[in-house]
Amino acid sequence: MSYLILNGMQSNDSIIPKINKFIAEKLQEHDIKGEILNLHEKDIKPCLGCFKCWVETPGICIIDDFGREVAEKMIQSDYLFYITPIKYGGYSSELKKALDRSIGLLMPFFRIFHDEIHHETRYDKYPNFSVIGTLDEPNKEQEEIFTNLVKRNSLNNFAPKFTSQIIYTSDDEQTIKTKIDNSLRIMGEEND
Amino acid sequence: MTKHATFLMCSPRGEKSASYSLGNYVSSLLEDRGITVKSFHTYKTLKNSEKIEEMIASINESSIIILSSPLYIDSAPYMTIKLMDTVSTAKQEGKINDDKRLLLAISCAGYLEYYHNNIALKIYKQFAKKNDFTWAGGFPIGAAGTFAMHTVPGLLEQVAQLPEDDVRYQIYGKPTKILDSAFKTAVEKISNGEVIPKEELLKLEVVVMPLGSYIEGGNKNWIDWAEKIGTVEKLRDKPYEKK
Ligand SMILES: Cc1cc2nc3c(=O)[nH]c(=O)nc-3n(C[C@H](O)[C@H](O)[C@H](O)COP(=O)(O)O)c2cc1C
Repeated sequence: MSYLILNGMQSNDSIIPKINKFIAEKLQEHDIKGEILNLHEKDIKPCLGCFKCWVETPGICIIDDFGREVAEKMIQSDYLFYITPIKYGGYSSELKKALDRSIGLLMPFFRIFHDEIHHETRYDKYPNFSVIGTLDEPNKEQEEIFTNLVKRNSLNNFAPKFTSQIIYTSDDEQTIKTKIDNSLRIMGEEND
Repeated sequence: MTKHATFLMCSPRGEKSASYSLGNYVSSLLEDRGITVKSFHTYKTLKNSEKIEEMIASINESSIIILSSPLYIDSAPYMTIKLMDTVSTAKQEGKINDDKRLLLAISCAGYLEYYHNNIALKIYKQFAKKNDFTWAGGFPIGAAGTFAMHTVPGLLEQVAQLPEDDVRYQIYGKPTKILDSAFKTAVEKISNGEVIPKEELLKLEVVVMPLGSYIEGGNKNWIDWAEKIGTVEKLRDKPYEKK
């Protein structure tokens, strides 16, 4: 079993490195190994919107940079984490620059899934999926957008189990650990 | 006094994109009303600090902002988020004054159902709120690929001769007429500093064909493209499967 943490923080974030460390420590206790990718340190070119990863070089983005490695590591993990400051209710640009490059993990073909149009799966197995967003203070509107976004993503990335969690920069260490424990428990158990 | 608008075009596909086609149409409707519009292709603009300054200056002079973006993974693409961060920083630094400014957003989805865009449009509304722009309203466009191939007036011209019970009229003509009318009402309102009436935007909330038909047509397009370049046999490859 392995995990992958996509760290979508901006370079000067004070809380996200702490969150990543707690997750990694907790998973190691269960003998789950993995890695943290600090996306803000990586040169990942933006998606060109060309769909060649679906038709010309199926499953592989035509841009040969670290974006390819991220996609490969994502699909090979068992537990996939996105950790991001919440921006306007959504993900940070640092996280999104990597995610936009990962659509080759799906097939181009459409099908009906949960009564909506979605893509077919390319792989037999997709990772469980957890997203943790940080905010300086509670923000009802943005929290609702964020929670719905994670839910919608779980349909498009075929996560067998998924969870979202919001951590405030004012949360103390114990609260942060409890929130992370909750996410890990859901990822390891049944999710409706 | 002449009014100004800024068109922020957020697709990497440039003028071949639905974001361009639709945003450009709205811009032309604004120009018809004597409003000057400056356009910025964010993929080019954000690479160049002088261009960024130019874009911020244009926003500062504008009473209307049009943001037109593709939908990537249920939300804003990387470059659109970067754009919002760049504008928000400029606002914080006082480079954009507190004059009243309206933001109209267009979100272009590949899937047929318009509502895949709902989260992205809520994100753009939060962006407006953060920067004290007035949220004029959001256009959720499903099956936006149609508008990457045709402009709104071009499509209307093509369907003009079709009888109303023709299936092509039902799929393309009718929804495009609704969209055209909503754009025209929107432009009339925002030109006068007003927001777009909710009823107008609600008219866009239609799924114009059975999901199965869209799936069939879409899947055929992928196969046709693959056949042309000889990759049909490889389409289901699993290059990153764990060994
Ligand atoms: C990286 C990527 C992610 C996408 N994600 C979605 C999605 O979540 N939902 C959807 O309906 N379409 C999705 N699409 C399809 C685009 O939204 C669609 O092709 C749109 O028309 C592109 O707009 P443009 O022509 O302005 O670039 C995605 C496309 C790309 C390249």
